[in-house]
Amino acid sequence: MSKSSKKHNSKKHNTFVDNSFALLNIMVIMLILIAGFCYLLFLKRDTVSHEENRNLSKFPEFTVESYLKGEYTEGIANYYDDTVPNRSFFKTMISKYLIPMKGVKYGADDDGGGVELYNTANDNKEKEQPEEPVTKNTQTTTNNNEEESTKTTTTTATTLPKANEAAANGEVSNNILVVNKRAIMLYGGAWGNEINYAEDINAYKEALGKDINVYSMVLPTSVSYYLPENYLDLVESEKDDIDSIEKHLKNVTNVDAYTALLRHKKEPIYSRTDHHWQPLGAYYAAEEFAKEAGVDFADISKYKKHVLSGYVGTMYGYTKSSTLLENPESFIYYEPETSVEVEQYSTSFTNPVETELFVNPDYLDNSSYYLIFGMDDNIRHVKTKCKNGRNLVIFKDSYGNALLPFLTSSFENIYLCDIRYFDLNAASFIRSVKATDVLFAMCTYSAVGINREHLSENLNK
Amino acid sequence: MVFSKLFFIYFFLPLCLFAYALAKGTKAKNIVLIIFSLIFYAWGEPVYVFLMLLSAFVNYIAGIVIDKHKDTKIDTLATALAVIYDFAMLGIFKYSGFIVENINALCSHINSLSYVNIPVPDIKLPIGISFYTFQTVSYIIDCHWETVKVQKKFSKFLLYLTLFPQLIAGPIVRYSTIEKEIDSRKIYLTDISYGLNRVVLGLSKKVLLSNQLSIIADNFLKNIDDASVVGAWFGAIAYSLQVYFDFSGYSDIAIGLGRVFGFHFDENFRHPFICKDITEFWQRWHISLSTFFRDYLLYVPIFGKRRKYGGLFLVWLCTGIWHGANWNFILWGIYYGIFVFLEMLIGKKRMKKIPVVIRHIYNKIVIVIGFGIFYFEDLNKLGTFFKTAFGFGNNGILGLQDKITFMNNIFLIIVSVICCFPIIEGIKKISDKSAFTRHTASLVTTFVSAVLLLLTSVMLVDATTNPFLYFRF
Repeated sequence: MSKSSKKHNSKKHNTFVDNSFALLNIMVIMLILIAGFCYLLFLKRDTVSHEENRNLSKFPEFTVESYLKGEYTEGIANYYDDTVPNRSFFKTMISKYLIPMKGVKYGADDDGGGVELYNTANDNKEKEQPEEPVTKNTQTTTNNNEEESTKTTTTTATTLPKANEAAANGEVSNNILVVNKRAIMLYGGAWGNEINYAEDINAYKEALGKDINVYSMVLPTSVSYYLPENYLDLVESEKDDIDSIEKHLKNVTNVDAYTALLRHKKEPIYSRTDHHWQPLGAYYAAEEFAKEAGVDFADISKYKKHVLSGYVGTMYGYTKSSTLLENPESFIYYEPETSVEVEQYSTSFTNPVETELFVNPDYLDNSSYYLIFGMDDNIRHVKTKCKNGRNLVIFKDSYGNALLPFLTSSFENIYLCDIRYFDLNAASFIRSVKATDVLFAMCTYSAVGINREHLSENLNK
Repeated sequence: MVFSKLFFIYFFLPLCLFAYALAKGTKAKNIVLIIFSLIFYAWGEPVYVFLMLLSAFVNYIAGIVIDKHKDTKIDTLATALAVIYDFAMLGIFKYSGFIVENINALCSHINSLSYVNIPVPDIKLPIGISFYTFQTVSYIIDCHWETVKVQKKFSKFLLYLTLFPQLIAGPIVRYSTIEKEIDSRKIYLTDISYGLNRVVLGLSKKVLLSNQLSIIADNFLKNIDDASVVGAWFGAIAYSLQVYFDFSGYSDIAIGLGRVFGFHFDENFRHPFICKDITEFWQRWHISLSTFFRDYLLYVPIFGKRRKYGGLFLVWLCTGIWHGANWNFILWGIYYGIFVFLEMLIGKKRMKKIPVVIRHIYNKIVIVIGFGIFYFEDLNKLGTFFKTAFGFGNNGILGLQDKITFMNNIFLIIVSVICCFPIIEGIKKISDKSAFTRHTASLVTTFVSAVLLLLTSVMLVDATTNPFLYFRF
């Protein structure tokens, strides 16, 4: 065989081998594409995401308008992407294996050093006792040499539990710290907006006059109680902003939920996996409000307790933290024993529909703050068996929803309105329902954040 | 439609590849591509698809007229009218709101004109208009200069303009690049294999790197008021990497898909972060845009004897404006123009005498600050960014947030930095030395591609809408 034909044959052989490897590569990639095509097209699609507590996208309805806007076609693509079969399995895989590959937790190789918390799904330990204020009598004895006599003084000090936890290690994502199996929103401060909030509430009092009692109860978030001390630099103090609000209120009664909750920080008053509090936290805040309002208040023993386990709240969706996913908690809510009548209205107080205080959990696939207390875009009127001539209007954010059940033995009528979804003049509405008391109950984020703007808007509608 | 969606990867693409494989002959394959390209575009823009078709028709007719009346006044007139039409469409749909807002703002500062308050038009930006407009302009000018043959078949011209791999986020493919391949192209197994791997690489850059880096960037830059000095730089570095992997990822997908269909698009990125100066950076970054301005704008004879510097100013001004209807983009273009101009003044020889380490530090600082300008459309926030980055902020040099974010993302950062270097080219160079290493590399590539595709797909299950950044252009 000549040299040139040898070279030719060798080149031909190399091309054949190269093509074989290329074909193998094409087959592998195409196999994945075809498998994915079949998997996504023919397998049963998920409709609900339990981890995110939401219904997944639905196949869009065709209208000419939606098509021309591109919403119909976009909706199909979103439906296809959102309702992946076994979505939960893939999401767990991402949280558990892929996201942690980005780096390491700050300063440690463990989340929270194995700190045990209350109410995890597999937790059967006894509930920790509430940390009550401790009153100490301290005797101080001083010797006065000149007079050669002994003087004894007794001082009494009431000590609340420490607001912050011991140092622990965690990870930060989306301005949320996951530490000690708990997600904590890192509060960035009010920067003067707390004064604006106080002025907004003062404007309500001015508009309503002296016959209607106005209360402000700004609700701290879990950052005020569960932030380890080594993360204090990341946040501003909610307490300072709440104190500043109190200072600037005029003729408005301040309700100190902060201290009321601090007394009970060892109980499950805040959700670990959700940005809301737990109903128990709402109970203690409502108790404090009832004290300030001078109305009766039913003890928690008078309520029927419902425990829904396996609850993973909204913070998992925000952080995608496997720590939260693997450590679900129980969602515990309390149902008043005395029956009440509940009507749900539109945001302009029309179209009343009879409803229940809670959504029946038997109908739910999964527990959730929203699922139990309902959504925010409505006005709810609760008529109770209480006969004291007191009618309450609550202007709230979603935190305020959990207060409602605990006030059913304290007021004759309660109107629950969300500041973000309210289409009437607030002062006229308050007068029209013959309210004797108006409570503003919202978390710090709403009071000093963008939601605050609704307060003045609602007064000027 | 977006490449980084499961709907595209596992529905649209397999159907398109299947139909393309079934089509016999170039003509049939071209028809398949046109149909799928129009569906692809109309999926997101069911109305503006007609604007694109109109643009294709106008420029096609202009090309025919230019060809019929070569070297006459009609040729020049047709060229001018087509270019004016193209830029007018771009101006109306992309810049009219910005122009009116600025006229109103200017008039409000002049007493005699303070009554002027023109209603600001609320026009949605058609996806990809900046890219396909530049393609039609380059085609018309090339026809006028007779550097390409005029396309006489509308379907073929439509294919050039609407080819979906490059339609909405580039690269800006010149007609001359694919002129011959539109008429006839051979598709080899090695091309398809290379193309598919390149698509997977692009998707991985977007989903595994860019999307994750965007979380770091937003963490610091969205909250620039609270950022420390290190935080501001960290955020800007993360954003620089995010944009690079986002845009070069899209270009990889475009080039890869093009190759699968038998087209050879030019490279749009050549590892820009390894550059030694800013001039070189722009020779490596968004090459199709830089070369467009170089070829069609740099030597426009409107600046007389000073056309070298005048042209340079115009190029950088246009580069900025092209990226968006906002002052920060204009500032961003001029900012780069100043550094390129300074490097011209210093001269190549003297630049080379500067130690390489110093040159790298200099250009990386300029680039990172440049991306800071690119990020902040709010000029007040941009001011805060500058103050913070240069130590005049209120949050100290290093914060706890910086340390936590760094440790939480340390492997992502390391991998991202490594991926800025030409590793694949390096490996290929070594593996090409013998048949055995080449074949081993092929097997490894297949394995890595498969793993990356699976990882990307899993990550996409959890992705919120993350369109490519360059979509807005």
